[in-house]
Amino acid sequence: MKYFREKRRIAFAMISPSILVIVAINIFPILFAVYISLHLWSFGRGVPRFAGFLNYEELYYDGRFGDAVLTSAKFVFFAVLLEFVVGFALAFLFNVKVRGMATLRQIAVLPIMVMPIVAGLVWFYMFNENFGVINWLITLLGSEKVGFLTDLDVALFSIVLADAWQWTPFVMLVMFAALQSLPEYVYEAAKMDGLNAWQTFWRVTIPMLRPSIMIVILLRIVDSFKMIELVFMMTQGGPAGRTEVLPWYLYVTGFQALDLGFAAAMAVSMLILVTIFTQLFLSRVGIGNDNK
Amino acid sequence: MTSNSQVAAQFSLRAVLALGAACVVVGFSLFPLYIMITTALKSESDIFSWPPTWTFEPTLQAFKNAFLLFGGQNVLVFLFNSVLITAASTVLAVGLGSMAAYALARFPFRGSKHLAFFILSTRFAPPVAFIVPIYLMFRSVGLIDTHLALILFYTSMNLSFVIWVLRGFFADIPIELEEAALVDGYTRWQVFLRIALPLVRPGLAATAILSAVFAWNEFLLANIITQRDAATIPVYLSGFSASMGIAWGEYMAVGFFAVAPIMIFTLFLQRHLVRGLTFGAVR
Repeated sequence: MKYFREKRRIAFAMISPSILVIVAINIFPILFAVYISLHLWSFGRGVPRFAGFLNYEELYYDGRFGDAVLTSAKFVFFAVLLEFVVGFALAFLFNVKVRGMATLRQIAVLPIMVMPIVAGLVWFYMFNENFGVINWLITLLGSEKVGFLTDLDVALFSIVLADAWQWTPFVMLVMFAALQSLPEYVYEAAKMDGLNAWQTFWRVTIPMLRPSIMIVILLRIVDSFKMIELVFMMTQGGPAGRTEVLPWYLYVTGFQALDLGFAAAMAVSMLILVTIFTQLFLSRVGIGNDNK
Repeated sequence: MTSNSQVAAQFSLRAVLALGAACVVVGFSLFPLYIMITTALKSESDIFSWPPTWTFEPTLQAFKNAFLLFGGQNVLVFLFNSVLITAASTVLAVGLGSMAAYALARFPFRGSKHLAFFILSTRFAPPVAFIVPIYLMFRSVGLIDTHLALILFYTSMNLSFVIWVLRGFFADIPIELEEAALVDGYTRWQVFLRIALPLVRPGLAATAILSAVFAWNEFLLANIITQRDAATIPVYLSGFSASMGIAWGEYMAVGFFAVAPIMIFTLFLQRHLVRGLTFGAVR
């Protein structure tokens, strides 16, 4: 009896500081955001007034919000698609057993750790219409100069490209680790069953990689949804709002238009969206279960 | 029937092709970093030249400008803030997080698994959703533009991830060692500090690096809750547009110092990073 009480006391002492911090800085702000979103609340315009669901109603009819949702969806879709397809293929490339491959792999994944603001700064320079190196490259190939960040139809894809530079190596690294952890005997069995390379890939490798594939896609979707740094550095939401993803719109609403209630309503909507999405995704993959 | 030498030739051709392709990938990964460094070393006329110059007379003028006189703002203060906030929040997150992770792994109670998962899920929330409430909260307690504000926020952001990942590492070590130590008269705290913690050193290293990288690179919240006194390097760099797009060299020079330390770290400490990056889902 004393033994169990001691255990519980220790567990409590060990967990509570963390819980305290998380509740104060993580959970409380979410509840506070809900509270703010129910008010007309802006900087320097008197006391906040209770407004019920007015902000949400406004959000529903706000065309700019709808556009931002679409832009975000487009950005996430193309970025994750590009990053996954290329990263997945690269995992197999770096899995070829040759001397020197490990070193090359370790260098290839460096972009993952680059400060996103710096990535934005450098790609901003490289995409420049007048002296950018990318325009130089395409003129070498005989094309006209392109306004990568000013052309209405191109700007979002320029951001996708910069994002893919940073995060394709992440997909590669994770898929590579997953490949490495596949047991050798499965392949021996496949060989004995007379499967050719193609069949082995589709019937053995892919099914066994499936959990890792799902995880990496989930992480990339959730992470690219919160991307704001590239937009901040390269386009500020332009041209003509074509790169205005949700985080940027929220930022502008809160800290340039100073409409905190409306921004909070957007924040709550984003949180609900992400939560529903991850819960649906996770319940299908079961990331919560394989970690004991 | 292929002879052995043919097989060897085929194999080496495949190896050469693979190595060549891998080199192209590495080139693509490094190219923007190369542009960053060379731009920082170029003179102003080389920076704006068309076509871009590939051979040029390197100069340290941009570094000098950035660190000694540029804009009247002292970059070194921003660098110092970044180092201080990153170090403090990492120590706090790994310190507090390892205790919580150990307790969740070793003293399971009803719902402890759900609690751990709930803690993890806070990490999925987009940071932008926090800017309004966090700003108002910190303003009401007078923490705007203080180091403490960012240290608290980064500690909290990293805690969820540290707890989740380390919980997996603790669960992997055999419990018998700890039981034996208890029999030998160790207290539970001693078991945690002297037996369990040293055994999960790789996990501590991985979570500490990733926490530090996160805090070092974080921009959005830093931009909202600091202005001058506690502002970090990403906040400094985001001021580029205020330079009217002319100080490329200077900003690239500062960018180099923002990226280089992290690069060196990750080059040498890549083991276990995947497990951290995927929240323990892929080993």
